[in-house]
Amino acid sequence: MAVSDVTTSDTYAVSVRRWPITRLLEDERWLAFVLLLPTLVLLGLFIAYPFVKGVELSVTDAKVGVPGSFVGMQNFALLLNDSIFRVAVWNTVVYTAVTTVFKLALGLWLALLLNRNFKGKAFTRAFILLPFIIPTVLSTFAWKWMFDPTFSVINWTLFRLGLIGTRINWLGDPSLALISVIIVNIWRGVPFYAISLLAGLQTINPELQDAAAIDGARPWQRFWYVTWPLLLPVTMVVVLFSVIQTFADFQLVYVLTGGGPANATHLFATYAYQIGVGTGLLSQGAAISLAMFPVLLVVVIVQLLYIRRVETL
Amino acid sequence: MTRISRRELLKLSGGGALAARAGGMASIVAMKQAPAYAQSTTLHWLRWNDFVPASDALLLKEIVPECEKALGIKLTIEMINANDIQARTTSAIQSGSGPDVICALNNWAQLYPESVADVSDVAEEIGKAQEGYYEESKVVANDGKKWLAVPWCVVGAQLAYRKSWFEEIGYPAGKFPQNWELYRAAGKLLKAKGRPMGQTVGHTFGDAPTYAYPFLWSFGGKEVLADGKTVVLNSKETIESVKFMAGFWKDGYDEGGLAWDDSSNNRAFLSGTCSCTLNGASIYLEAKRKPEAYATENGTPLWQDILHAPLPTGAAGQFGYHLPMSNMLMGYSRNQKAAKEFLRWITSKDVYQKWFDTQQGYTVGATTIWEKDKLWDKDPVMLPYRTAARAGRFPGYEGPADRHAAEVLSKYIIIDMFAKAVQGMPAEDAVKWAHEEVARVHA
Amino acid sequence: MIEGAKWRRWVFFYIPLSAFVFTLLFPFYWMMVTAVRPDAELYRPWSAPNYAPFWTAHPTLDHITYLLQETLFSTWMLNTLFISIAATLISLFCGLLAGYALSRLKFRFAGMLGTAIFITYLVPQTLLFIPLADVVRNFHLGDTPWALILTYPTFLIPFCTWLLMGYFKAIPRELEECARIDGAARWQAMLYIIFPIAVPGILSAGIFAFTLSWNEFIYALVFLSSPAQKTVPVGVTSELIRGDVFYWGSLMAGALLGSIPVAFVYSFFVEHYVAGLTGAVKG
Repeated sequence: MAVSDVTTSDTYAVSVRRWPITRLLEDERWLAFVLLLPTLVLLGLFIAYPFVKGVELSVTDAKVGVPGSFVGMQNFALLLNDSIFRVAVWNTVVYTAVTTVFKLALGLWLALLLNRNFKGKAFTRAFILLPFIIPTVLSTFAWKWMFDPTFSVINWTLFRLGLIGTRINWLGDPSLALISVIIVNIWRGVPFYAISLLAGLQTINPELQDAAAIDGARPWQRFWYVTWPLLLPVTMVVVLFSVIQTFADFQLVYVLTGGGPANATHLFATYAYQIGVGTGLLSQGAAISLAMFPVLLVVVIVQLLYIRRVETL
Repeated sequence: MTRISRRELLKLSGGGALAARAGGMASIVAMKQAPAYAQSTTLHWLRWNDFVPASDALLLKEIVPECEKALGIKLTIEMINANDIQARTTSAIQSGSGPDVICALNNWAQLYPESVADVSDVAEEIGKAQEGYYEESKVVANDGKKWLAVPWCVVGAQLAYRKSWFEEIGYPAGKFPQNWELYRAAGKLLKAKGRPMGQTVGHTFGDAPTYAYPFLWSFGGKEVLADGKTVVLNSKETIESVKFMAGFWKDGYDEGGLAWDDSSNNRAFLSGTCSCTLNGASIYLEAKRKPEAYATENGTPLWQDILHAPLPTGAAGQFGYHLPMSNMLMGYSRNQKAAKEFLRWITSKDVYQKWFDTQQGYTVGATTIWEKDKLWDKDPVMLPYRTAARAGRFPGYEGPADRHAAEVLSKYIIIDMFAKAVQGMPAEDAVKWAHEEVARVHA
Repeated sequence: MIEGAKWRRWVFFYIPLSAFVFTLLFPFYWMMVTAVRPDAELYRPWSAPNYAPFWTAHPTLDHITYLLQETLFSTWMLNTLFISIAATLISLFCGLLAGYALSRLKFRFAGMLGTAIFITYLVPQTLLFIPLADVVRNFHLGDTPWALILTYPTFLIPFCTWLLMGYFKAIPRELEECARIDGAARWQAMLYIIFPIAVPGILSAGIFAFTLSWNEFIYALVFLSSPAQKTVPVGVTSELIRGDVFYWGSLMAGALLGSIPVAFVYSFFVEHYVAGLTGAVKG
């Protein structure tokens, strides 16, 4: 893998001269085109149509098996007066904001810990990923049982430690239910953040750190002025994707609470599914799904602008 | 009966699908023995994975080969989690390909009236031969003009309760609190002894609605008038029922139930922390199946201490909502004729009988003839299920069991109305909220 | 990298790390116990005096045997493995090339294309699966592994592309320019200089792509129908949840058997992060 193995100038020169395609690929635009081609073909074939179809559904009054006719923004107007929808929006925003902050903070901390040398490093790094590897449906079932009022191992532990006198109704109390869902999401997401950021940390040249250390920088200064700026591009992308995934989260809530009790944990996606699939009102389901688009878009644009700004610095 | 593992069965049914896809070869092989139909006819039947594993085994092991022998149809049965059937149905209808026959729960057939074939001939024929359908089976599968699906069965919901615990509070064997007031008083006594009743008012497709709706009806509350348009939920009766529920919840119920799913009350009851809960027969049958695993506090087998009773009576009467199932013949299916023939065959008395027997009473037939079956002589504890479906109504009452009813149901509006009150919202506000939501659905 | 007194090590390193490991892995321990717990103990409320959540006195292999012998678990594992590997390779290939182009080459519409690829990720699967079923049918992919192998990249490629763009950006331009001055063609500089340095990034993108395919539920549920074609999450839930009766032990056994082998494989890859790094930057 060492760079020195392959950087012998002879081989490069020969191949450039020999192949006309190579010369074409010297042009950045052509190279970019070739490199992007597979992606564009795949996405074009598989996502373009469903995407357009989804948007189209949201402006019709289609039901399952009935194409429906154009109704403009009526579905969206309906949503404005929908009390369950408003609850779902609020829940989704809280859910995404809280989990993202925790996942980033804890994930970064864990990544920094894992970046050190210690016995069983590789093993720990891999097994830390387990919450992320295990199929969400199945791990959520396990959590469901850990939160079950009658069987909760968490309640038992807290009780034994003398921290509680009566059981905690994890999923039954409206605000606790949302907190429970948030806990499971953080549990699932921290490994993802930690390992991505760890990989980011690994691409940072340790010599930079050493140089700063020699200059007398304290550990947190080294982190803030050396490591963090270099880690930022990766961090932003990880946050970006995690925000989107969390915003559109479905499985976890669907399995854990089904949006209950009394809609206290309904999210965009679970509500959209309930309306679109459960009731067959495809157009309204699509409208709910798409209603998260503008919110997401704002988040995304802010982050993208931020990434660009960081890059140009 | 020789034992055949589920694994082999699954392979069998998988093989069927494989053969179906292989087309050419399979059909040549099939040609030798298939008399009635175009030899390569294959049917794909999607249904839920049954609570009773023996029923699924019977379908895969006996019904599939018999179907091929009797009708010349290669049957592929796919069983999935009940919660996931609608996702499959929706995508199948939208893409115009998928299972030929789908077993629907509740009134799902009413959600897809444009996409299912008219099966009036089969349904009428079966109904006539088997002494008519239960009202509830009919309203979910018939839109008033034609049959959208052939009713299959009804999963009875009854209260399972601990015999000895009810004896202790003054209800000797066979007696059970007959109305809501008495029932609530019993709950109070039981909860004081650390044996609360258990019920979910969470977002579940089974236990929460099958409790909340009949409760509302028995107080005289209803969603809409018979015209299906005038929403009348916000009424004196409804408010009274909600108030009663909120008080009852504190008096008699396990307060963790707000978050329970359909399986939680089974676990709570089997673990001995719950004295009485509305459920299918699954608690009793599971306890009976594994007598060594579930015991009472005295060490005796739990199943011997379980009895069943219908929901108590209210001012307006005694009601139940039992989960109905019906088979939809999908409109996109290319095997319409064969599929109808199959539905006629599988629902006919002789064939259905085999399946019915394996159910042990967990479900009753959709037609009244099954009340007379000798199965009910076997176990007196199961007897309350025999006639349960008679008092059955479907959500949306007094209007039709149409798409609006399904929307109210799948948004859990009625259930959440009770849940909100239980969580402390004044009954009037909870009812007002629910009324507005229901009105929006019917708008 | 660890400096200072011993107590500092404990406070700033060992204790927090142990806390993380404990919290993240506790549910697995608990699932493991559940998988070997006999049914009679399973239904014991937490307030019971003999409730023992952390161990069982009478471990049993019944649930695991049931899972392996009465269901098609091993078939589902193979299906899932094949589908996940294929989808991951496709996505990595596309994402690697696209990520390089978008982050290091100058051409018109670069920003726009990047955003367009990204936007496809914004549409939730809960909406997409319905029209996507149309596409799957038109290509005659229904009930074959290819239905998933070709649809998973739709959410994996944007992810891989953007993740790799992030990693590529962290690599100094000088490295590439040096090679170019030595006479390397653009694609050679990309292939021999940049990609090797990005190995940790590629591996982590690969790990995530693999994991997301491994976990996916809705597409697998909708596009596959024969029991022998199903993936682990769909197969396990459709076999072991029957109405309101859950086969808890087997369900948990399925979850564990379906994820622990993957963790072992990852432990080799994760080690490679470091090897890739020291080779590329220092060498």
